[in-house]
Amino acid sequence: MMEMILYGRGGQGGVTLAKLIATAYFLRGQQVQAFGVYAAERSGAPVQAFVRIDSQEITNHNQIREPDHVVVLDRTLIAPRITTGLKTDGWIVLNTPDHPEQYAEQFAGRRLATIDATGIAVANGLGTKAVPIVNTTLLGAVARVLGLEWADVTGALAELEFGGGNITAAKQAYEQVLMQQLAGSLVFSTATGPAAGSAVAGLFDEVVGSQPRIHTGDWANRAPQRRQLTPPCNQGCPAGNDVRTFVEQVSREDADAALATLLETSPFPGVCGRVCPAPCMSACNRHEYDEALNIREIERYAADHGRRPEPLRPIRPQRVAVVGSGPAGLSATYHLARLGYPVTLIEAGQELGGVLRTGIPTYRLPREVLDSEIHYIIAHGVQVQKGVRIKREGLLGLSREYAAVFVATGLQETRALNLGNLHADMVMEGLDFLDQARRHEIFLQDRRVVVIGGGNTAMDAARSALRLGARHVQVIYRRTRAEMPAIAEEIEEAIEEGIELSELVAPLQLQNNGDGTVLTCQRMRLGEPDESGRPRPVADTCEDAIFDVPCDLVLLALGQSPDLSILPEGSEITENGQLLGLAAAPIFAGGDLATNEGTVTAAIGNGRRAALHIHLTLTGEDLFPPEPEPTAQPAQITMHLFKHALREKSAAVAPATRRRTFVEVRQGYVDEPGHHPAVTEAQRCFSCGVCNNCDTCLTYCPEGILQRRGDRDYRFDYDFCKGCGICATQCPRGVIYMAEL
Amino acid sequence: MGRELVTGNYAAGYTLALAGEANRSGRGCGAGAYPITPQTEIVEYLRGFEFTKGAVVPVESEHSAMGVCIGAALAGARSFTASSSNGLAYMTENVFAAGYYRLPIVMIAVNRTLGPPWNIWVDQGDSLALRDAAWLQFYTESHQELVDTILLAFRVGEDPRVLLPVMVAEDGFVTSHTQMIVDLPEQELVDRYLPPCRVPHQLTHARPTTVGGLTWPKETTHHRHEIQEAMERVPEVLAEAINEFEQVFGRRPHGALSAEYTDDAQTVLIACNTMTRTLRRVVEERRARGEKIGLIMQKMFRPFPRQELLRAVTQAQRVGVLDRNYSPGSGGIMWTEIAATLQHRPDILVQDYLVGLGGGDVTPQDISAIVDELQSRQTAGDPVWKEVAA
Repeated sequence: MMEMILYGRGGQGGVTLAKLIATAYFLRGQQVQAFGVYAAERSGAPVQAFVRIDSQEITNHNQIREPDHVVVLDRTLIAPRITTGLKTDGWIVLNTPDHPEQYAEQFAGRRLATIDATGIAVANGLGTKAVPIVNTTLLGAVARVLGLEWADVTGALAELEFGGGNITAAKQAYEQVLMQQLAGSLVFSTATGPAAGSAVAGLFDEVVGSQPRIHTGDWANRAPQRRQLTPPCNQGCPAGNDVRTFVEQVSREDADAALATLLETSPFPGVCGRVCPAPCMSACNRHEYDEALNIREIERYAADHGRRPEPLRPIRPQRVAVVGSGPAGLSATYHLARLGYPVTLIEAGQELGGVLRTGIPTYRLPREVLDSEIHYIIAHGVQVQKGVRIKREGLLGLSREYAAVFVATGLQETRALNLGNLHADMVMEGLDFLDQARRHEIFLQDRRVVVIGGGNTAMDAARSALRLGARHVQVIYRRTRAEMPAIAEEIEEAIEEGIELSELVAPLQLQNNGDGTVLTCQRMRLGEPDESGRPRPVADTCEDAIFDVPCDLVLLALGQSPDLSILPEGSEITENGQLLGLAAAPIFAGGDLATNEGTVTAAIGNGRRAALHIHLTLTGEDLFPPEPEPTAQPAQITMHLFKHALREKSAAVAPATRRRTFVEVRQGYVDEPGHHPAVTEAQRCFSCGVCNNCDTCLTYCPEGILQRRGDRDYRFDYDFCKGCGICATQCPRGVIYMAEL
Repeated sequence: MGRELVTGNYAAGYTLALAGEANRSGRGCGAGAYPITPQTEIVEYLRGFEFTKGAVVPVESEHSAMGVCIGAALAGARSFTASSSNGLAYMTENVFAAGYYRLPIVMIAVNRTLGPPWNIWVDQGDSLALRDAAWLQFYTESHQELVDTILLAFRVGEDPRVLLPVMVAEDGFVTSHTQMIVDLPEQELVDRYLPPCRVPHQLTHARPTTVGGLTWPKETTHHRHEIQEAMERVPEVLAEAINEFEQVFGRRPHGALSAEYTDDAQTVLIACNTMTRTLRRVVEERRARGEKIGLIMQKMFRPFPRQELLRAVTQAQRVGVLDRNYSPGSGGIMWTEIAATLQHRPDILVQDYLVGLGGGDVTPQDISAIVDELQSRQTAGDPVWKEVAA
């Protein structure tokens, strides 16, 4: 009797090869038997097949343990164990492009044949490139090694109805197989099959083991891995807030933790929770599903409901001066103080806060909110000097007195607009107007007001004018609403309050037309994009392109520019145009003075980076956050796993009521018994690219090879992971992915 | 067809199809089919076969598969199906119904261990658990025996003296998935061997009846006794069927059991299915060394062939039973039947060995060790649990 073992992987056709070999002998009149070892295995798992050939009837139904020959269908299975039980003169037939000599050491003293069956099968289009089916090819090689005729091969292939490329491939293998008696003395493999004599486990006996320890992980061709991506909200926050984390903390009803997270990066969650343009919300992936999260309101909720930690006290010897108490200066002050520096904050005016106080009306940012956040900053042992205006000489003096100086004096120069010489007293700068308005120094009873501009200052001026009694308020903007830099909600609220928005209108001049003063305007249309990327407004030429708007007061909100005269002559602002080392002096500049980014949030982030930069300069310690991981893209989120849910509504004072008062318009998320809109809203978060312990992967893993130990410490047991990928498919947030092995 | 290199499942499916086709001159054939490892290729083959008159109905469960068979048989069709292991367990209610309805359905039981714990390999506990369902049961040791016994099964089951369903068992994988050379019959010969199936209590429009309604204890006892009488007529019918088989096909299948080297054997081992072939190698090797040892291939289990068994152990002092099955709280199922039969021979030491449970690869060395153990015994004991390699 001749017995053979075929070692292969599920899907390669090993059992069919056994039948092909048996058929070749069957057609020669021999008795044959061919069978495989079957288990709960799948494509890629190591499998065995057996062939018996005899001239007598075969009555042996046992597995073969002492084969006359072995065939290895898969190169990755070539190992000493294939010679276990192999008779001394038996052939080893390997599917490999290698020459038999390559195995001179591993299989010394053996008769060994090699054939690149995979290459031949692929070349003949058998199976796929990923899973070539090598059985018919190997039949040619095996037949040659066993001394069969080519006709035996064609006979067997015909019997089992194999044609075409199978015949060509078998022929190539029949002709190309390399056979060699390797030199040296035999080495007998000591490897055995399944462990003999190991204790057998009872169903309830966990100590002895339970299932057969088949390392099914060996079958895998890919493995699940975990990663952390940057949530787009975090990526989008100019202040550097860990948005995803504080949202999750609110979703767990832990406002204290959420506020602590915010205070790591910003001293102004209460301010930003009210006036931030919220680029995080524009970036939110949930926008692709139903509606972006209302992150700004969640931040406000955390700021209004969380408890602030005790302020830290200075512990370092180096004193730092900060010039300017706008958002950038206060942010730098706060972060320097948290790092332990004694900070002196110098402000030219009588109140701290800069544009936060003078430029933002109280119906958007109540005074108490601003005062409380500034108070918390100052409580970190900050020395404050008010009413001290620093000029160039003073700055140089500070640089000698302090270890470092940070200058963030913001934008002090306003852009002018010539509307003719006649009515200069009818034209006012928007920021000056807002400052007077908050000090109740101006009233506009029954007056008609035109605001020129499209930014937040324009909206603030218009809405303040209304609250100060104006009869009619009109905003004119030379592009369309879509291009307006103002926060969309501000525009919406202004219109709700009755403000008229005139798009595609540019002012020409103020003049008298007999009935009173009018602002003569030019109708515009959108042209090609300019250098800012927005469409350039160009004068329209239609019949009524020039028209008059009756008005009593014009408010200019055209933007501002920095006054650089404070900086030492020949100063150079470095660091990618954001920061801030000035040549030859420990002076750093930031905020809008250096960057003109124009938002409170950007100024906060800029102030923080300035503090870290100063700290690095003074101590050599780099506390900058590491380079962010790639941002989680919408396609990486398994959105269909989430229930559709629109934004929670926040409270607001009705337009008819608010248009005559400076009471805060938005009331935020207001808790009611049984309804916590901030928490519900926070629970809408996808937690893009960051594990939040949802345990979906644990639920779906069909093999039970995934475990969680403690918080967010998930372990894959790669010994038993077959790489099915269900965990990655089901991960709602793109944390688990499949890596090719 | 002639001699072919095929798997046991192919051979079984092929033979069932020919038997079904052979009834095309009668009421045709009808089968319910549901897959389960290691039986699936059989129902796949049947679904792929184009019957002249009849249908194989894919259903949603084994229970329904047997339901279709019952309906088809009651309509007068030749009916058959196949299942395994937990599939048989799920089918059980209707398996009993087929038996007590006296419907000559033929079912291939591809033996597989019942779970849990989950296991797909051979163990005869699944079909033996159905021994009380009023079915004839045959166990087959080879591909050829399987093919021939399926044809015998239709012939015997449909005989008006019997009219009972028949289960033909084969070993999962060892037979079902192994390629062996087998003589596959031609349709023409099967047509000759299997006359049109006639079910006397067939439902017809002409004579509307209800089958299997409520009966009183006395009538039920009578019904049971009728089944027993039918079972008792099986040896006679089987003998005729084998003779006829030899005339048609030119070869002679085994009968209720095959007693080999038992004329002078003091030690007799009993096994079923493919383990018999391994046992035979051990017995022949030992006889060559002069031992007085024989074997019995237990082919028919229902009805249990008591007379044949007693005749085969006339010289025996020791009988060892190789049970690849296990009845919890008792022991090997074959052993309990054999021991009950051998109450007439209190001089014989009868010992049970539970071997190859869950599909263990029982080697000649394993069986030889059992023979040694049996021969060293002075008294019989509880069943011996014999571990073998995986």
